[in-house]
Amino acid sequence: MTESRLQRSILIVDDEWDSKVVRSVRKRLDEEGWRTNVVVPFDFIVSGDDFEAEALYAIEEDRPDGVVLDVRFGEHGSDRFKGLAILQKIVEHHPQLPVLMFTQYWKGPDREIAVRGTLKWDAQVDFIDKFASPEEVVMRLRRLMGTTPDTIRIGDRISIDNANEVVYVHDADKATPVTELHGLRFDILQELASTWYSSPGEVVPFAKLMRYTEGEDPRASIRVRIREIKVAIGKAMGVQFGAGDLIINVRDRGYRLAPPE
Amino acid sequence: MYATGAIASRRPNDMLRHIPALSIAKFTGLLILAAAIACFVLAPIIGEALFASIWGVEPLTYIGAALLTIGLAVLLFAFALPQALRRPSKQSQRDMQDWSSVTQQYFELFDHDLGRPLRRILGKERELRAYLRAAENGANGHIDIEEVTELLDEIEMQAPNFRLMMSNIRVLIQLEAPNASLEPQPVEVPEVVRRIIDRYNPVAAEANKSISWWAEPSEFGIVYSDSAAIEHIVTNLVDNAVRFANSQVHVWLTREDDRFSIHVWDDGEGVSSHYRPHVFDRGWTPAVARREEKTSSGLGLYIAYTLSIGYGGDLTIENDTTSGPNDHTTFVLTLPSHQPAPAGATAGEIS
Repeated sequence: MTESRLQRSILIVDDEWDSKVVRSVRKRLDEEGWRTNVVVPFDFIVSGDDFEAEALYAIEEDRPDGVVLDVRFGEHGSDRFKGLAILQKIVEHHPQLPVLMFTQYWKGPDREIAVRGTLKWDAQVDFIDKFASPEEVVMRLRRLMGTTPDTIRIGDRISIDNANEVVYVHDADKATPVTELHGLRFDILQELASTWYSSPGEVVPFAKLMRYTEGEDPRASIRVRIREIKVAIGKAMGVQFGAGDLIINVRDRGYRLAPPE
Repeated sequence: MYATGAIASRRPNDMLRHIPALSIAKFTGLLILAAAIACFVLAPIIGEALFASIWGVEPLTYIGAALLTIGLAVLLFAFALPQALRRPSKQSQRDMQDWSSVTQQYFELFDHDLGRPLRRILGKERELRAYLRAAENGANGHIDIEEVTELLDEIEMQAPNFRLMMSNIRVLIQLEAPNASLEPQPVEVPEVVRRIIDRYNPVAAEANKSISWWAEPSEFGIVYSDSAAIEHIVTNLVDNAVRFANSQVHVWLTREDDRFSIHVWDDGEGVSSHYRPHVFDRGWTPAVARREEKTSSGLGLYIAYTLSIGYGGDLTIENDTTSGPNDHTTFVLTLPSHQPAPAGATAGEIS
């Protein structure tokens, strides 16, 4: 079972590239299965221009799937918003490349001015503050890049192999396929898992799940399928899932995935 | 976007000290005074030589007296004018007093609201250090990774408190500014909500609570509003809900013709009808109502309400008895979805 067909790569451009904040983010991105590259200056004394040149070269050379970019590259006047100048160049030359601005200027007038002055509002750019947890950075990048990986891990014990349409239950080093989950049941679980992957807590509405139903009463059909999914995975894990476990009906609006503890 | 304040314009105009004409005037005044004194001194000695007979002394004295008057006038002008210009008007004095009191309030807020999580972090950090020291000395035999992780998690969980407080103080300062402009921009509201849930999911999970959210319709589309304001208001509501929920928080978006709403519900004990009129008061918290020590500043809902009104919307509390026998509370933020704010609307008008 492969983690992904092609490993995704993220380029990190930050003058504090070796700080604890950047290191913790990089570690989390590595855990996510993404390859991280960091723009490292050749000299001890470098300016924002050096970072700009290195960053643009690295993008041309490595073709990353996403960029994490700082705004401030030093105390010199021209370096205080250097990241925005770099962003503008990236957007000009690589308009489809997602860029996450990792900065203390994550909102407020400076950010608004920067965005309005340089970018169209629907550019593949987002801002996140440096107080954000590495988990938040990963979530934001998942949405910016907008793709679902071949394998989605749901908690420690369940994984969904989207490429081969198989659900696995893990116990230590052993991965057991849940053979009962195929066809519409797999599709429903895959839909819930994809939503959970990019936006944990988001409810998948009934309207979206309707396409995986048969019969005259689609809601009843979905309820039956969900029950079957919970029973099958529960059996493989040796547990019994209740109404508030694994897949939860929220106010009869839809369902959401809740990884088992 | 909230514009920045006009703090600089309220400060005394120190530029007056550096006007060259005033320095020249001072120098000229001193020269004239010196000339006047010279006239007085020289009048009895050379006056008769310069001016014939008995009238000889008097003209020089008269000239000296005139020069003295002019010199004093020039000096008075040169020194007194900047002082007169620098003296604040009654209005600006009032502004300065207001500003001082606002500054004082911010310091108190920093002291109280940022101090509390900082004390918790320090407490946990010291506990962790003591634990590691004890483990190193062999008192506990080994380091329990689970216990260390738990302490580190508790430290990490203070980060959202800090972020929200810093954000609250920033917005409050911007709201006090008289020239804060409110301009609607295209906003993807579900994405704003996703960001907030990203931040609060770990906090909720740590307390064995969960957050669910959805949009009706699921393809919510774009609205014209202010994403920073929406994010700020809803963050305050979600922060509140996570704090008071028993186990669940629900956030959902709805959309009508020209308005959209964000509902934030939690399954905790609702706000009693007795307290509802005060919930959006500045500084009000349940602890205040119970005459206990405040555990939060009571600013979050006040700011959220003020911002909502400022953007032509509303923030209300609704009873919810549909989800069970208990009277839970739903906060509903309603904002216009595509009508730009009237030209010249300012935050000064809303606070």
